[in-house]
Amino acid sequence: MSDSWAVDVQDVSKNFGDVKALDGVTLRVRQGEIYGLLGPNGSGKTTLIRMFVGLVAPDAGSVTVLGKRIPNVSLLSHVGYMTQGAALYPGLSVEENVQFFAAINGAEGGVKATLEFVKLYDRRNSVVSTLSGGMRQRCSLACALVHKPQLLLLDEPTVGVDPQLRVELWDGFKQMADAGTTIIVSSHVMDEAERCQRLGLILFGQLLTEGSPDEIRATAGRPTLEEAFLSLSERRA
Amino acid sequence: MSGKRVGAITKRLLQQFRRDRRTLALLFVAPIVILGLLGYLMRGSSSAPAVGIANEDQGPLGATVAAALAGSSEISTTTIQASDGDSKLKDGSLTAYIVFPSDFSSQAQAGTIAPDVHLEGSQPGTIAPVLQALQQALISVASSGPGQGLHVQPHPTYLYGGPGFDTLDYFGAAFIGLVVFFLVFVVTIVSFLNERSQGTLERLMASPLRRGEIVVGYMLGFTVLALIQSVEVLVFSLAVLQVHNSGNVALIFGLEALMAITAVNLGIFLSMFARTEFQAVQFIPLVIVPQFLLSGILFSVNSEPRPLQVLSDVLPLTYAVNGLRDVMIKGADLSWGSLQLDVGVVAGFIVLLVVAAVATLRRRIA
Repeated sequence: MSDSWAVDVQDVSKNFGDVKALDGVTLRVRQGEIYGLLGPNGSGKTTLIRMFVGLVAPDAGSVTVLGKRIPNVSLLSHVGYMTQGAALYPGLSVEENVQFFAAINGAEGGVKATLEFVKLYDRRNSVVSTLSGGMRQRCSLACALVHKPQLLLLDEPTVGVDPQLRVELWDGFKQMADAGTTIIVSSHVMDEAERCQRLGLILFGQLLTEGSPDEIRATAGRPTLEEAFLSLSERRA
Repeated sequence: MSGKRVGAITKRLLQQFRRDRRTLALLFVAPIVILGLLGYLMRGSSSAPAVGIANEDQGPLGATVAAALAGSSEISTTTIQASDGDSKLKDGSLTAYIVFPSDFSSQAQAGTIAPDVHLEGSQPGTIAPVLQALQQALISVASSGPGQGLHVQPHPTYLYGGPGFDTLDYFGAAFIGLVVFFLVFVVTIVSFLNERSQGTLERLMASPLRRGEIVVGYMLGFTVLALIQSVEVLVFSLAVLQVHNSGNVALIFGLEALMAITAVNLGIFLSMFARTEFQAVQFIPLVIVPQFLLSGILFSVNSEPRPLQVLSDVLPLTYAVNGLRDVMIKGADLSWGSLQLDVGVVAGFIVLLVVAAVATLRRRIA
């Protein structure tokens, strides 16, 4: 039953010229799950996430999100997408940015609660161009979740965020997942990977292995995720 | 100063250009295009004003002066009926006509030569050659003929404008539109490109926004700014510069607004073809300069070489400039067929550009 999957990716491939960005990836993400996409830079994580929102069309294979075959523009009001690098309007204040993304997704209210969630309510009137990198990242996150999406896609969300706030944000993600939001997060930070319920390791556009952090450590026979990942990568190479 | 470090900067600059073929092409192709166009326009345009001669003189003098005028290199003459003159001025086939009245020869014997000169008047540059040619013809006739020491006194009348009508009055009408068109275009193309380069366009495309909603939303936002600018330009031109206006101010504003909306949509559309702000700015010489040269602002379209007229006829600015001049100089209103055409064509361009912008705005990155 594909309806129980928040994201169902079947054998997708994508080439950019001679570069195989994705090569026969199949993966499924359950509803309410925190799923981590792990892999080095250029492994295909961002391409895969863009496919979930229809920004990249697969050359082969299919992508189904929340029971709907992609591309499907109407579905996007149930999806939150935080792009890599805080894509915001630098001339607007924090609150104006979040209000804008709420409006285009058809959300009413929720701006204050969202700003409190990312700890930016006190800075709501600050113009984005005056913010630090970490604050921009949080503002960008707020823009992705202000409309309470069922599926939240986070492309390296905690780059530039200090460790303490990172812990707080992850606690927040956990709460959202418990409330039924599916979260797919790409990262190459291993302590974040530990917090995911399931992980997919991506290398050269292929899904190397999938499983909970414990399962992955067991498969590789290594004590830490970092070593497990390196060991699995070497085996493939 | 270290030669090595200076050299590093020079080398880096040239390396960058090697990978930006478009900028290189612009640097070397644009001058040829622009100068070529200008040369063709200036050399190929028929510059001599068309002047009609109506000779009603019952004596011999009218024919003599007419023959002298026909020999003038300043103007090109045709023979007309005086009664057709005004309609030929209105439809633009003549820039002036001269009438030698029936008592022209007998007047001359009484010591005064006073032909009637009817000038179209909207283009100040064409008036001087007509009056000069007439003056020369009369002087040559007077000096060779029997009536030495004649008093030469042409009576000029103006269909539009008047003796006080100057170059600014003629160009001002067009520039009111051009200034708005140019600035709105630049602001729009750069800010739509920002949307792309700062990554927010990717977010918009990953939202339920439809492409048409983005384009129309942009259009309305910039139109608000453009309309305020249009009011400013109009007030400054009429109140401070005192540019001649015989038409309805609301109609001028309407035409300006249409030009601004055209510029907004042209900016959005062309921003799809630029990856950086640098490339966006390059559209100015490619898009604005040819329109500036060909829209009739400097050289009236019907004096251009034939092939360029075809080009002029498909540029929106040509119609907008013509409309503004018709209203401000000739006092045209919406009952004039030519103004209806101008407004219709510009409005059609807006629709076309909106459709093109929506069609080129891609949801997919790849």
